Amino acid sequence: MRELYEQLKRLFPLGEYTEQRRDLAFVTVPKDHLRPLLIHLRDREGFTHLVLLTAVDWIEEGRFQLTYLMNDRAGKRDLGLRVLIPRDGAAMEGIHDLWPTAATYQRELREMFGIDFPGSPRVNGEFILEGWTGMPPYRRDFDTKKFSEENFNHRPGRATKDPAKHMKDKLYPDEA
Amino acid sequence: MKIRDILSPFTVWKNLFRDPVTINDPVRERPGAPRYRGFHKNDVKKCIGCGTCETICQNGAIDMVPVDGIAAKEGDSGLRPRIDYGRCCWCALCVDVCMTKSLTMSNDYQWIDRDPDAFRFTPGVDKKKWDDAELGYTRPDAHRLTPEERIHMQELGPETRIGSFIEIVKGYSVDEARKEADRCVSCGLCVATCPAHMAIPDYIAAIRDGDYERGLKLLYDTNPLPEVCGRVCTHKCESVCAVKHEGDPIAIRWLKRHIADQVPLDKYRAIVGAAEPATGKKVAVVGAGPAGLSAAYYLARMGHAVEIFEALPAAGGMMRYGIPEYRLPYPDLDKDIAFVKELGVKITLNTRVGKDVTLDDLRKKFDALFISTGLHLGRSTKVPGADHPKVFQSIDLLRRVTLGEDIYCPEQAIVIGGGNVAMDIARTLARIQTKKYGKVGVTLLCLETEDIMPADREEIVESREEGVVLRPGYGPTRIDTDGDRVTGTRFVRCLSVFDENGRFAPRFDQSDEIAISGAMVVESIGQGMDLSYLPDDLQKQIVFERGRPKVDRHFRTSLPWLYAGGDIVQGPDVIHGIANGHAAAVGIDIYLRGKMEQ
Ligand code: SF4
Ligand code: SF4
Ligand code: SF4
Repeated sequence: MRELYEQLKRLFPLGEYTEQRRDLAFVTVPKDHLRPLLIHLRDREGFTHLVLLTAVDWIEEGRFQLTYLMNDRAGKRDLGLRVLIPRDGAAMEGIHDLWPTAATYQRELREMFGIDFPGSPRVNGEFILEGWTGMPPYRRDFDTKKFSEENFNHRPGRATKDPAKHMKDKLYPDEA
Repeated sequence: MKIRDILSPFTVWKNLFRDPVTINDPVRERPGAPRYRGFHKNDVKKCIGCGTCETICQNGAIDMVPVDGIAAKEGDSGLRPRIDYGRCCWCALCVDVCMTKSLTMSNDYQWIDRDPDAFRFTPGVDKKKWDDAELGYTRPDAHRLTPEERIHMQELGPETRIGSFIEIVKGYSVDEARKEADRCVSCGLCVATCPAHMAIPDYIAAIRDGDYERGLKLLYDTNPLPEVCGRVCTHKCESVCAVKHEGDPIAIRWLKRHIADQVPLDKYRAIVGAAEPATGKKVAVVGAGPAGLSAAYYLARMGHAVEIFEALPAAGGMMRYGIPEYRLPYPDLDKDIAFVKELGVKITLNTRVGKDVTLDDLRKKFDALFISTGLHLGRSTKVPGADHPKVFQSIDLLRRVTLGEDIYCPEQAIVIGGGNVAMDIARTLARIQTKKYGKVGVTLLCLETEDIMPADREEIVESREEGVVLRPGYGPTRIDTDGDRVTGTRFVRCLSVFDENGRFAPRFDQSDEIAISGAMVVESIGQGMDLSYLPDDLQKQIVFERGRPKVDRHFRTSLPWLYAGGDIVQGPDVIHGIANGHAAAVGIDIYLRGKMEQ
């Protein structure tokens, strides 16, 4: 995989390289070079299959990471392309014209992370959430706990104790 | 409307008499996949009730509940997680975060019951059929939500530190401290073990937030000597930290030091606050060690006028005259003391109570007294030769080094004792020898074998690194002398230190004798107290218990106006002294306010 990376580096301005296994590696690509790199991988290197497209919310850095996982069937190897985009007004050029299945992933990312892919088919349609109006739930600042408390009841009779307070009551009730 | 829409419901009828495509499958065993996430299991003996599983559960499915037969004790809250399967989504975050790896999941997921409350139970306590299931989900080893390793602390190497008394531990940078603070899961298990019950998870959270003002204020709520404790505290809290079960405990002591190091003294008053309005009551404190300073600080906060009487030329007690500078630099100690003074505490130095001023005088001039004079009399081994002038007490030598005296220090020295004070003098002599002779010649012997030596582990490791030779498991029989010279000491192997009842009763193998040569012997086998400043009639009125003044929970002796704390009550330990100085201050305040109302 390292060899492939060295080759690609001569053609594209690539960033960080991570080799996870002999047949699985990841490489960071500037946003504008994603499309030419994908086409190159598909047409020249045998990576004809888009395995998946997903995202990570690096909220501390104010960025989303998009991961395009490509598979080279003949070569039995996978290469993940990481693209970092600003979290504010998150949007990315779609690749549904290269792989039609990408449209489904893009629609999912739009719904779960709020990342827009202008021009992607039905990108604004409901995907698995129905009638969702709040913050996209895979964003890290989405308060899952709050959501579950507001939407699902507790059975009556539940009670909990704080460990530190319980220990004070049991072990040193008289001390300050 | 199209005609087909009207007719289509009827087309369904024609399927009525066909064989169904689905089959009727009665409920029967259908085991989950090997790593299926089914009902939880909990090894309740291993679980410490830290509640981290409850905190992480995004569905609010876990409650921490008391369980019959599991009592709260140090390092274990006694609570155990109870799960509401009406809310659990089987995400396994609780299993992944579990601090002890006690919580796992079976691959069992089938269970029918008509009572919805049956689906709320305490795994491991309420017996279930999957309790012994072998398959299911366990956190994979490499999969950690909290980092296992402590953030590395920069320290001087042995070659550098042996040549001077410069502080060994450098302290965390802001970034390092935040990373270390990030490892804390805020469970609060450590609070019960801290003698001062400091708000540990809260001040660690303050570091995480970069809010050092809040951090400092929290420290001063329970401990007015944070620079000191952040360096030399025995940190018992770390021995029960929840993180220690699957990693290194949080560096609680160093995080505390980090907060105090981060805030300059001139900001303290604005952050911690000034004293309350004066009450007009006066309290005398005898001895400016940790207990005395702590009592004085909290009494001054409460508006009482406090004066500390100290025999030595500077305040600090054992913190200054016992603990060497490479562990606790004087400027840091001085910073803590300076703020006690800034709050209005008067410290009268070079004034020995019982000699320069009598206790009766103090009693007349003050409304209450707190005595915390510490343990300053070294105990002798009393073996033949122990009364020779080249046989010293560690505590006397350490004091003289602090006072700037040039102490006798030959090329070969013998230290007897296995506690932290023995380590302090051994390492101090090693430094003086390095300066004088360019090499270390200290042999330290003690009754205890290395595994039960009372000294802190890091002291043992560091003294070895500095060239001190440790010979644990030997007791002295005779010190060899020749006129005004000491030539060496004979030791025999110690077979055991304590008897079956845990009482001190060493047994020796007289046939296994060794001779260690050295021109000086330092005894460091414990210290006693000197209460001769208490007049005879008072000594008779005070109740003693095993040689120590008996006190109530406010550290009041049998006399209503006399309180006692620190080493003379609880044995040698800085943080215990601070804690009981605080408790005594609370007690004295109650006593004085009672008198004011009369
Ligand atoms: S599996 Fe997930 S939802 Fe269920 S109790 Fe554990 S953390 Fe909560
Ligand atoms: S996290 Fe683990 S050790 Fe802590 S209470 Fe939960 S089950 Fe017990
Ligand atoms: S320091 Fe350790 S025991 Fe204390 S709150 Fe943090 S994780 Fe829990």
